[in-house]
Amino acid sequence: MSEKNTKNERSAAGELLDSLYLDMFHLIEAHTQCRIDIERTSSDGSILLARTKFQQGGQSLSTAQIPAENSAEFNALCRVKKAADEDISIERHPVDKENGYVEPLYWFSVLPPMSLRSAVDKFKRTIDLIAESANLQRELSRVLDGINRLRQTVALQ
Amino acid sequence: MLKSTIVDTRVRLRPSKKLLDLLGEQKEHLKELPANLAKILEKNGYSIANSTRIIRDDEVVCKRPQIDVKLLNKLTANLPDVPSNAQEINELPEEEVEEEPKQPLTGDFLYLNDLHFLNSTLTELRRNNIINVFLYELIESCELILPENEYKPRNPELEARCQRLRDEQQNREYHKMTKNVDATLKHIPEDTVAYQLKSINKQIIAVAQFIFSVAAGFTFGFFGVNLMVGPLPFGFRILLGVIVALVIALAEMYFLAKKLHEYDEVLDAPKRKTPNSPKASGVQILQKPHVD
Repeated sequence: MSEKNTKNERSAAGELLDSLYLDMFHLIEAHTQCRIDIERTSSDGSILLARTKFQQGGQSLSTAQIPAENSAEFNALCRVKKAADEDISIERHPVDKENGYVEPLYWFSVLPPMSLRSAVDKFKRTIDLIAESANLQRELSRVLDGINRLRQTVALQ
Repeated sequence: MLKSTIVDTRVRLRPSKKLLDLLGEQKEHLKELPANLAKILEKNGYSIANSTRIIRDDEVVCKRPQIDVKLLNKLTANLPDVPSNAQEINELPEEEVEEEPKQPLTGDFLYLNDLHFLNSTLTELRRNNIINVFLYELIESCELILPENEYKPRNPELEARCQRLRDEQQNREYHKMTKNVDATLKHIPEDTVAYQLKSINKQIIAVAQFIFSVAAGFTFGFFGVNLMVGPLPFGFRILLGVIVALVIALAEMYFLAKKLHEYDEVLDAPKRKTPNSPKASGVQILQKPHVD
């Protein structure tokens, strides 16, 4: 009886280990894809930012437009939040001038050019991707940890 | 060397001899085989049973497996917290195993859907009590190849061009800096009377355009509307003229300011290089343009 039990347990452990390995491969691929997406969106954003600067001329921006130490305080529009399961997620707050949630896009001009707007979109997307990548990485390390521990138990039997 | 973007995000496994041997032995039990795996088997001299159906790679079900976390916790619950040394010990013998089958197998890789297929096949075979081998035992002897960035050298043409542009920029800055000091640079056009007269002319033209258009706007308001609508009181006509002129002046002012601003920028920027300057030869540009 106990022999059969051990055998069952062994096969269950084996199957679990197999699926852990497959999961690991999936996570590696997803993580790589995510990193590539981060690379792509952030470089797109940088190019758009450069184009904005090119269109506006080099001297149309000054540091006076950026809030300094003694300007009015404002709240962050985008926060990193810990969700359940230790995953992180990005929380965005709608723009609300009365309560101090200002849109930084309007620091530089009342009518921001199209390329600046799309650059902002790209960088927002990059932040989402970075959170996703961090989650994937955490999951991957959890799976790797599981593989290590499980292999020790399999080795013990 | 530049890192380029990863093109192929797939995880690859170099199949070990053990894995291929096993597949070769079990060929009569294989009902179907993904095309990639079949190709690898044939390349390495294993025959495939006639009854085996070759399926396309995208037909293999490729879904992330569900991990039974409870079972995992249960199985590893009584495990003492072993420091990571144990991990290193585990890894060492593995590498020795890897060394041998490396040479005969090159160029063929297992992809994720092949692994999924292997997993389901092995599960099937285990259930029918044909073999008792797990996937992890097979892939332990395989070499895992992670997606990597390709390194490619920077295009030499681009490099030369960047170098030339950088030199030009530095040269221009140097010109600007030493303009007042060096007598040999007096021929730079900004300092001649003709150049300055020309630039004043340009500014005068811009201002004159402004005045003309404002005057034309006023004339339209003063006479034009009167002619169209019929006799209007004199005060109203002046008011109309002033309003139209004001609107035009505002619009025109914007463009004038923009133009003058641009003009200032051009003045600030030092002289452009003459077009017949030596191309891409860094040596000559790097020399100081005047006698020490």
